[in-house]
Amino acid sequence: MRKINGRIMTVMLFSAAILFLAAITISGSIFSDEAMITDFSRKNLAPSLQYLFGTDWLGRDMFIRTLTGLSMSIKIGLLAAFASSIIALALGIISATMGKTADAIVTWIIDLVMGIPHILLLILISYAFGKGFKGVVIGVALTHWTSLARVIRSEVLQLKEATYIKAAQKLGVSKFEIAWKHMFPHLFSQFLVGLILMFPHAILHEASITFLGFGLSPEQPAIGIILSESMKYLAMGRWWLAVFPGLLLVGTVILFDVAGESLRKLLDPSSAHK
Amino acid sequence: MKKFIKVLSLAVSALLIFSACSSAEKNAEVQKDTDSVIVAMGTSSEPEAGFDPAYGWGAGEHVHEPLIQSTLTVTTKDLKIDYDLATDIKTSDDGLLWTVVIRDDVFFTDGEKLTAEDVAFTYNTVKETSSVNDFTMLDKAVAVDDTTVEFYMTKPYSIWPYTMAIVGIVPEHAYSADYGSNPIGSGRYIMKQWDKGQQIIFEANPDYYGDEIKMKKVTVVFMDEDAAFAAVKAGQVDLAYTAAAYAEQNVKGYELLAFESVDNRGFNLPTVKETTDADGNKIGNNFTSNVLVRRALNIGIDREQTILNVMDGYGTKAYSVCDKMPWYNAEAEIECDKDEAARLLDEAGWKTGADGMREKDGIKAGFNLLYPASDSLRQAMCADVQNQLKELGIDVTIEGVGWDTAYTRALSEPLMWGWGAHTPMELYNIYHTVGSSAEYSPYSNETVDRYMDEALSASSLEESYELWQKAQWDGTTGITQEGDIPWIWLANIDHLYWSDVNLTGAEQKLHPHGHGWSIVNNVDQWSWK
Repeated sequence: MRKINGRIMTVMLFSAAILFLAAITISGSIFSDEAMITDFSRKNLAPSLQYLFGTDWLGRDMFIRTLTGLSMSIKIGLLAAFASSIIALALGIISATMGKTADAIVTWIIDLVMGIPHILLLILISYAFGKGFKGVVIGVALTHWTSLARVIRSEVLQLKEATYIKAAQKLGVSKFEIAWKHMFPHLFSQFLVGLILMFPHAILHEASITFLGFGLSPEQPAIGIILSESMKYLAMGRWWLAVFPGLLLVGTVILFDVAGESLRKLLDPSSAHK
Repeated sequence: MKKFIKVLSLAVSALLIFSACSSAEKNAEVQKDTDSVIVAMGTSSEPEAGFDPAYGWGAGEHVHEPLIQSTLTVTTKDLKIDYDLATDIKTSDDGLLWTVVIRDDVFFTDGEKLTAEDVAFTYNTVKETSSVNDFTMLDKAVAVDDTTVEFYMTKPYSIWPYTMAIVGIVPEHAYSADYGSNPIGSGRYIMKQWDKGQQIIFEANPDYYGDEIKMKKVTVVFMDEDAAFAAVKAGQVDLAYTAAAYAEQNVKGYELLAFESVDNRGFNLPTVKETTDADGNKIGNNFTSNVLVRRALNIGIDREQTILNVMDGYGTKAYSVCDKMPWYNAEAEIECDKDEAARLLDEAGWKTGADGMREKDGIKAGFNLLYPASDSLRQAMCADVQNQLKELGIDVTIEGVGWDTAYTRALSEPLMWGWGAHTPMELYNIYHTVGSSAEYSPYSNETVDRYMDEALSASSLEESYELWQKAQWDGTTGITQEGDIPWIWLANIDHLYWSDVNLTGAEQKLHPHGHGWSIVNNVDQWSWK
């Protein structure tokens, strides 16, 4: 048997993580209606084969509710991280290529957003946009782009000194064309890894904002809501309401981290051939 | 070897900490005095603005006896009126002048005598500054002599004695902006210590003019539901509020007390079709605007099932905002009848479609039912209503909202409310037309308004009770099932407490809305076995 090398291992790890996350997202979406069903004839049941994660005080199936909650978190995470990274890319490139003033303004904005405590800004933005799904997505999107924007900006600053860029400049290629045609392909790997590593952040922040009651309304299945509701029942010995959803949330975040890390390994020239 | 010593010292320190904890617990148990009691209330019960009646102490949404201050009147066990400071109350024929004679033997705890001047000062002050109660019916209060005070009214207000029961009398000579945190009164207790966010300690007023105070020291601690339960389990409190969710637990040395209340839950049904007002807010609801639909909803919900499902049986069926009060009209009572509900919906044109849900002209029968997002009991009630109405073919969605938007949204969408006060004025606030519609949900009925106006200008309380009842149902119109039914009332929730088995609490009057200070209304008469 041929020995599995590191690269294949990483590819497998990456695919497994993505597959698992996709499974959660899809199954959660399929069951989204069922996650809202309340049935008082089956309330407060401990975990069993029929109800893997037990049921809560409204007789909701916590397994389905957790799946749906996580899939909602992942969707919010995807949307928010994607929007966030687009902002980061645009601002990063603008800052590095459009001259001193643009750079000063963008750096100032980055410092401003970074200067306000994350969760506070998130709550403010979500609240201003009327909470709910929209509020959370906009909130997460508008607060998570800063570090990626910094990375891209410094990367672009380096690139600007590269001979092929200098050559393009001398040949009279427009600034926009240089940014799009010559810089973006070079930045893509950083961008992609940054994007994926932003997911766990976004998901955790979505969970914390709904936990604090500034996100979705409580009948919605969201992982933060599930966890904040479960707190009340811990004293009554209903541990399953907190433990399983909590573990699954941690698992999901770790999986995203694994996916992001393995992707970085695959794309990073220094580790790509190990 | 070093490692071993490290582990050993860790183990020893852990042991020490544990033993320190357990001995502290033991101490708490030993120190139980026979004339003191520790009561746990919810964190929201801590009076934010202190003990100033103008800013909500005893008054407002959550009424209770102010303990520190005396009031002119008190409500009795059956919610009629008795005297506290007052010895005689007279009203003029036109209802515009109330003359109250007060006791001559009452002193504030700083030694000053309580006179009619203080009473007049209190009422003129709350009229100016009260942030929780409406005093527009009072023109001014005047002290005629040391023991007589006259209230000049702007309009007849027959239920003034109920207002007098919630205004604690403050001393004119010691009232300032910080009165809330340094209250002086003439009531049963003196506020000794207030650790904000934690506890308040009361001590009996040695010069109290009324019955002897048995419980000399009352400590009220504020904690969340789960913390209160943990405190009960640890034996740290003598009486603690709790919720139905904890009711099935067993705690050694404690019993579960359930007190009936008029703390009701129900939802409003906008009675007009949907329009948009000048500010762009939606007003009215196309589904609930039909009176047949409202009747079907009222009769189609099995209240008993809701109480069993949501409150584990700790509640009573509610049919009005004022069940069991002297001004309650029992005509509001109905039996759940799902067949009749289905017939009413058919009659209204909502026919059952292929999927079992009702529809009319291609529109599905249903509405969005709101609840305050922080209230899990109301959320559960909404979920139960949703399930029950689904059986009737009505598609209800539920949504948790914050109070910042709830009031406006309730004008077009039903909201799960909680009410229940010790005054008939609540009927007025909910059902009486202000401008073109009632305040909290679009509704207006001239006859109902007229009865309530007449009730306010009645010459006696007894007469007013009858008129308040007629406002609910006079035989032809009203707010009950056969009338306009603009609100549906589902349940009065029992107020639950864990109580030390050796503690004997005095009989409670029907608790109003708010699971808080009502329990200690008569803490002075509690005793230990």
